Amino acid sequence: MHLSILHRTTFTYAGKAHDSFNEVRLRPIDDAFQKCVSFDLRLEPTATPQDYSDFYGNTIHYFDIAEAHTKLIVEAQSLVETTPNDDRPSVPSVSSTDLERSAEREMLAEFYTSSHYVPLEVDLWREAQDALCDGRADVWNEVCRLGRHIYRTFAYKPKTTGVSTRANDALKLRMGVCQDFAHVHLGLCRSLGIPARYVSGYFFNTTRRPREIEASHAWIEAYVPGYGWAAFDPTHDRPADDRYVKVAVGRDYADIRPINGTYRGAPTRSLKVDVKVRQINGRLVTA
Amino acid sequence: MLSRVAHSLYWMSRYIERAENIARLLEVNLQFLLDFQGLNDASLKDHWDSIILSTGEEKLFAEHYKTATSRTVTEFLAFDLRNPGSILACVFAARENARMIRDQISAEMWETLNELHLYLKSQNTTDVWAGGPHEFFARIKQASHLFQGLTGATYSRSEGWEFIQFGKYIERADKTTRILDVKYHILLPSASDIGGAVDTAQWQAVLRSASALEAYRRAHVSAILPWKAAEFLIFSDSFPRSLHYCVAQIDDFLRRILSETGARPKSDAARAARRLLADLQSLSIAEIIDQGLHEFLQQVQTTLDIIGEEVVQTTMFYPAESSAEEQQQQQQQ
Amino acid sequence: MLRGHQQSKPFHVSLISTSYDAGSFFDEMFEPDGKTVRPHYRRLAERLTTLPAADFNQRRAAVDLAFLRRGVTFTVYNDSEGTERIFPFDLIPRIIPGREWAKLEAGLIQRITALNLFLHDLYHGQKILKDKIVPAALILGAKHFRREFMNFNVPRDIYVHICGTDLIRDHAGNYLVLEDNLRCPSGASYMLENRVAMRRAFPNLFSSYGVRPVETYGDALLKSLLYLAPDHTEKPNVVLLTPGVYNSAYFEHTFLARQMGIPIVEGRDLVVRESKVYMRTTAGLVQVDVIYRRIDDDFLDPTVFRADSMLGVPGLVAAARAGHVALANSIGTGVADDKVIYAYVPKIIKYYLGEEPILSNVNTYLASEPLDRKYILENISKLVVKSANEAGGYGMLIGPASTKAECESFRAQVAANPRNFIAQDPIALSRSPTYCDGELQGRHIDLRPYILYGKKITVTPGGLTRVALRKGSLVVNSSQGGGSKDTWVLQGDE
Repeated sequence: MHLSILHRTTFTYAGKAHDSFNEVRLRPIDDAFQKCVSFDLRLEPTATPQDYSDFYGNTIHYFDIAEAHTKLIVEAQSLVETTPNDDRPSVPSVSSTDLERSAEREMLAEFYTSSHYVPLEVDLWREAQDALCDGRADVWNEVCRLGRHIYRTFAYKPKTTGVSTRANDALKLRMGVCQDFAHVHLGLCRSLGIPARYVSGYFFNTTRRPREIEASHAWIEAYVPGYGWAAFDPTHDRPADDRYVKVAVGRDYADIRPINGTYRGAPTRSLKVDVKVRQINGRLVTA
Repeated sequence: MLSRVAHSLYWMSRYIERAENIARLLEVNLQFLLDFQGLNDASLKDHWDSIILSTGEEKLFAEHYKTATSRTVTEFLAFDLRNPGSILACVFAARENARMIRDQISAEMWETLNELHLYLKSQNTTDVWAGGPHEFFARIKQASHLFQGLTGATYSRSEGWEFIQFGKYIERADKTTRILDVKYHILLPSASDIGGAVDTAQWQAVLRSASALEAYRRAHVSAILPWKAAEFLIFSDSFPRSLHYCVAQIDDFLRRILSETGARPKSDAARAARRLLADLQSLSIAEIIDQGLHEFLQQVQTTLDIIGEEVVQTTMFYPAESSAEEQQQQQQQ
Repeated sequence: MLRGHQQSKPFHVSLISTSYDAGSFFDEMFEPDGKTVRPHYRRLAERLTTLPAADFNQRRAAVDLAFLRRGVTFTVYNDSEGTERIFPFDLIPRIIPGREWAKLEAGLIQRITALNLFLHDLYHGQKILKDKIVPAALILGAKHFRREFMNFNVPRDIYVHICGTDLIRDHAGNYLVLEDNLRCPSGASYMLENRVAMRRAFPNLFSSYGVRPVETYGDALLKSLLYLAPDHTEKPNVVLLTPGVYNSAYFEHTFLARQMGIPIVEGRDLVVRESKVYMRTTAGLVQVDVIYRRIDDDFLDPTVFRADSMLGVPGLVAAARAGHVALANSIGTGVADDKVIYAYVPKIIKYYLGEEPILSNVNTYLASEPLDRKYILENISKLVVKSANEAGGYGMLIGPASTKAECESFRAQVAANPRNFIAQDPIALSRSPTYCDGELQGRHIDLRPYILYGKKITVTPGGLTRVALRKGSLVVNSSQGGGSKDTWVLQGDE
């Protein structure tokens, strides 16, 4: 699928801001199932961003704006080509024993131990056991069932949780947004020793209603030996397909913040995020 | 040197000088009133009002106190922390600034400020009145003199020294104009009072505020002629509290701070200082009185403000986190 | 000096007396009989014998007064005000024969060489993890593993420029490494001040011994910092970055900055423009090339690390990444002084250098290893248990000296979070005669030598000997009742 994504963030300050230093994770990844054909970052006030690749392979753009300004606009425009679903191999069946014995697992330790947003407390482990009470199976099967479990037993309700809600809090509330669903799903997988990571990105919503607000999306990837990272979206109860565009991966939300920075001056009066995901017909041509 | 350090040295110096000058102002005027027990209530009130007016804090004073009496004015100018210009507030500020750069100043300098601070914390208006205000003010002046003496003896003649001296003389010049203004503008006598006992005594008080009485008498005859007293405090190039002397120092240190090596000053601050110095070198008291002494003094205050502000902006500009424009904020999405 | 006709009691009557109890510990000065003086202490013993008690006390008082006046303090923050205390100093030096020091020096150089290679590997190819010498999980889960600096190069490939390695001696007198300090090791200022004090207190004794100098530390440190500046800079601007007056080690920061003649700055004095670091001065912005930073990574840059830190400089990490500024020590060194990684250092030395470690570790049990964990949980009351990431003696259990309840509480913590704990057999730390209440009594000591990694690796001869002043105590840290001694490394052997 050929997708065009616009992601615009506008910070408006209650006064003036200056000496603003920021890092952004907005450039979609290149991997086996997607290619970022073009990426353009526009900043207002103007600044020239530099970039580097972080520990997880995400592209970070960083910039600073010294002069006083009353608002900051960070606008990312990407053209992405995703591999058609038919061309994606299916996820093989791998037992948890084989997973445990696999050579790569040791190097993935941070993906099955506690992280900032996903402390592995006993409640998550119990929930995982409950969700799989019908019996254990192969890794991918369990990942999907855990995801489905969340989809069925949690309510998608914006404004009930916050940006600092952790997986165990969301578990108690049994509601939240995609970020919380993803964190809980990570908690369940990790409790069973399955390496899983957080994915931030976009979803091309073909059933979107005209006025529906678009936003960035979050889901997870679990490691299956012999395959790699297999993606599942617990908010929609389905594996990620060619409508999904990956931007960044990490242990949890703390590793993938789209924008992270500091500045001096007046507090932020408002934060507006505009996301538009559109399908482009025909071949994508780089600008 | 680091802007932050220059900033702290400058303000440490200004605040101590400020505290000393307030102490002088209060002390002399308290003494004056003791000498004139016979003043009627209206004149007394005028007198205290004038002191508040000279500090420029009349609005703040009115917010917290009903009338200007010896007690309320002493409270306001000596101990009230709501008044950023009170002696206590100034000494606090001086000490805070010193603490921030403690490794730059000698141990003795720090200890002097610390001891003054401890002493002030242990006093209040009632104690001062009970124990005799003279003791109290003398202590403060002594501490300030000791501090300046120690600075002179233990602080290297470096860039830091320049900022300390610059701050001191800017503050002193400003306060001298205000001491003068008290009498000339605020306490304008009626025609019948000019040269009378009260008028003369008031001029004596003005000179005493600046510790200038003896120097004046050495320079002139013992009779205190109003315009001669003003002339002395404005034009004397040898008395260390006179405007001329202070501005000459300001001009000199300013050139060093701003690295102005040429004969003609380049920066606005240096040019303003040079022009002011030129006026003080060439004008006569008659010309000033014609122009209006109050207007002249106000102009000097404005010039000093501009000079100080420009130097702060050019050399000492660094973020003071307390101000709203400099709060560090997080930005995440 | 002596006044009047009354002869003061010669010191040896109360000092090197029959009642000196060397105990079952290795004593620095005395053989186990408590009477025979080791060869390299003989000259000191003779001097103390002929020194009247009053004289000794006078010198002690003079030294204390000098410390007070010079402000050789550290700050203890029990209340919001913070009290400044003099770091107690004992006048009896710790003496190390040249031959003994040579081995220590070789061992320390070997260790820091290996640790630097280890750090470079961890932040680049991670070969040692892929070869399974060190479990990846330990690194990835380490509090101080800084992903933010992965794959970036550091000037001259040196990560640790200043290292303070703590050494102890067991009952047989063998030196063992207790821990490495690779982030912001402190105490060098006390080492230098102690030397000044001893020179003044015992000038003749000092010169008769032939003690190797430590005064070169400031120069050596500055040299290793200058070494990091980009080649093209003619006069590199080196600064010391301090958290400020409220930091307990602030005295040391100002002291070292003055020794080296470099500016001392706080975060707010620096500003980053286009990935270059500048100092705000009265003459405008001046570029900074090397920063000796005494601020932990967490607080270094609010854009990258803790966002609530007011001590750091926004954009500093970006400047370091771009190679426009060098940080000493580099970002991320804390992963190698993690108490759990400590247990792997002998393997690390072998892996990178192909050598056996010259200096041994203290035998360590890792709670993250199942067999070790079982042993720890079963024998906790006999062991010294340490939390992986605490410093200064906190987060530690000394089993034999603790109550049942304390042991139970610790056991629960270990069981809940095994990766975070290690345990060691209690070592009978060596003791040194220390002046206590008018006589010499044995007190436990350790040694922190300072290793500088510049163009060459240098180990300052001696270092800070810390002494646990409370009777029987093993805790030598300043904030918990410790003091220090001057350390004399001899040119010769006695």
